[in-house]
Amino acid sequence: MARREKTRSKSSSPVIKVFLLIMMIALAFFILGPLLWLGIHAFVSNWTYPNLYPDGWTFHWWTQVFADSALADAIRNSLIISPIVVIASMIICLPAAYAAGRLHYAGRKTFLIGMFAANSFPKIGLFASIATLYYALNLMGTVVGVIIIQLLGTIIYMTWIPAAAFAAVPRNLEEAARDAGASKFKVFRSITLRLAMPGILVAIVMSFLASFDEAQGTYLVGAPAVFTMPTEMYSLVQNYPIQVAAVFSLLLALPSVLLISLARKHIVGGQLAEGFQIK
Amino acid sequence: MASEKTDVVAESLLVKTTPRLSALGFFMALPPMLLVICFVGLPILIAFTFSLGFTTGPNRVVSIIGQEIHKKDHWWGTFGAYKDVFHDSRFPGDLRTTLLVTFMATVLVLIMALGIGIYQRMIGGRLAGVMTTLTLVPLFVPVVIASWAIHTFYAGDGFMRTLFSHFGINFPTLTSTVSAIIIGTIWTSLPFAILMVTSGLQSIPDALIETAQDAGAGFFRIIRTVLVPLAITPIVIAGTFTAIGIMGSFTIPLFLGPNQPTMLGVEIANFFGAYNRPQQSIVMAFVVFAAASGIALVYIWANVRSAKQSGRI
Repeated sequence: MARREKTRSKSSSPVIKVFLLIMMIALAFFILGPLLWLGIHAFVSNWTYPNLYPDGWTFHWWTQVFADSALADAIRNSLIISPIVVIASMIICLPAAYAAGRLHYAGRKTFLIGMFAANSFPKIGLFASIATLYYALNLMGTVVGVIIIQLLGTIIYMTWIPAAAFAAVPRNLEEAARDAGASKFKVFRSITLRLAMPGILVAIVMSFLASFDEAQGTYLVGAPAVFTMPTEMYSLVQNYPIQVAAVFSLLLALPSVLLISLARKHIVGGQLAEGFQIK
Repeated sequence: MASEKTDVVAESLLVKTTPRLSALGFFMALPPMLLVICFVGLPILIAFTFSLGFTTGPNRVVSIIGQEIHKKDHWWGTFGAYKDVFHDSRFPGDLRTTLLVTFMATVLVLIMALGIGIYQRMIGGRLAGVMTTLTLVPLFVPVVIASWAIHTFYAGDGFMRTLFSHFGINFPTLTSTVSAIIIGTIWTSLPFAILMVTSGLQSIPDALIETAQDAGAGFFRIIRTVLVPLAITPIVIAGTFTAIGIMGSFTIPLFLGPNQPTMLGVEIANFFGAYNRPQQSIVMAFVVFAAASGIALVYIWANVRSAKQSGRI
């Protein structure tokens, strides 16, 4: 008996295995529990404490959300603003990411650290500072003001991750293509850009989510004139029953779930973590 | 002392990069640089002058709209707004709550990230993979949803109390307490810390761990003398970013915390919006900046240290 115990513990003892399993269940409970609990409420007519089961099931709250014009407006605003932010971010940041990944210029590292530093101010303090300036620029409560606020949150993703991706493209592959007679543009398009694409894709996904989910700054400079889906949540949770907030949450989570399942492989595969090291 | 350190960093970076110049690269890098200068650097500079009572120029409009504005009475300004904030009876509690939540949540996040990272590095297997994937879930859940979900989960009629009541246990209502803020911040901060720490641990070569094992080092000794020292830079980056992120949070303490005392993030937003006292709001923002800059220095130190070790500076 004792001998069997010993041989087992060499690989991994059952005590450790049980401990890890318990930790795993606790972690799943901690992370997924709140999401499931809120998600179920989207289909529940009422839930009387302390019953384990809801009083009944219904789709009533979904029709209420789509019928409410303020909520519908917020959904529309979000779907218009976020793509604009991502495209603007790509135009502004991708050339810089290429430069940081491939070219040597004065202050390249200062640039990378600067981009990082811009993201390292405690958010709400930065937003309050920006809002002070927005008064002078007449940007308070405007869509342009909201776009700029959300743009700031995407810069770090759109510079750092593609920069690492561009830097990782093997030079000899490009040189070989040049030797074979490919034009500079063709080499860029069919080799450099193609190999850097996973990184750029992750940057686009992360930027879209950063913009789509941004609430604090949008609320501070946008409310009460411009409401997006996340900022609508602030008033929603105070003025509507929990089930309406649950429906709205599911709608708000939809883009994340879709985009993540598209880019999951690359995000977990290290493109994200790789992008955040100064090289 | 602090600025001296960053100067050294900036200088050493410049020396390294100036010999090989690409003008094109510089101009390609310009747009995001300008955006950051115009909408991060400049606003912070201007806001600082506003906090000191400079109410003309770009601060004119906000000074007209805001209430209880202190105008400068010396050439360098005034500390009027700072006095307002520091003498406010709620401020000490808010500051204490902010620092407590930041400290507790950062420590707990790092312990969890290290635990999961070391588990994956040393033991591995499918369970470890599932665990890591699980911890990445919060990365893709908007903070407003997460906060509200956690709010309902730990509320008076939430799941935890419902479940435990069937076992005859009266689980405490955590919603609207500081504990709930800590739970919420851990929940949202976990993915970034896990990504940084696991990628740092994974990059440690197997040979080093095996050599230590052959030399007779036990599990915990390997962690202490091989894994943690070699991955210290990503660990520090994870820690500093977690801490700075928590300090600037607003949604989590708003949804999960008590009304009083709360975190400064909520007060900054309240003073700016609801109370219409922008100058006091900015003063609190600078209190948070000051606390965060101490943490940021640790981050810069870690990055410079790793750059030096690999011979890049």
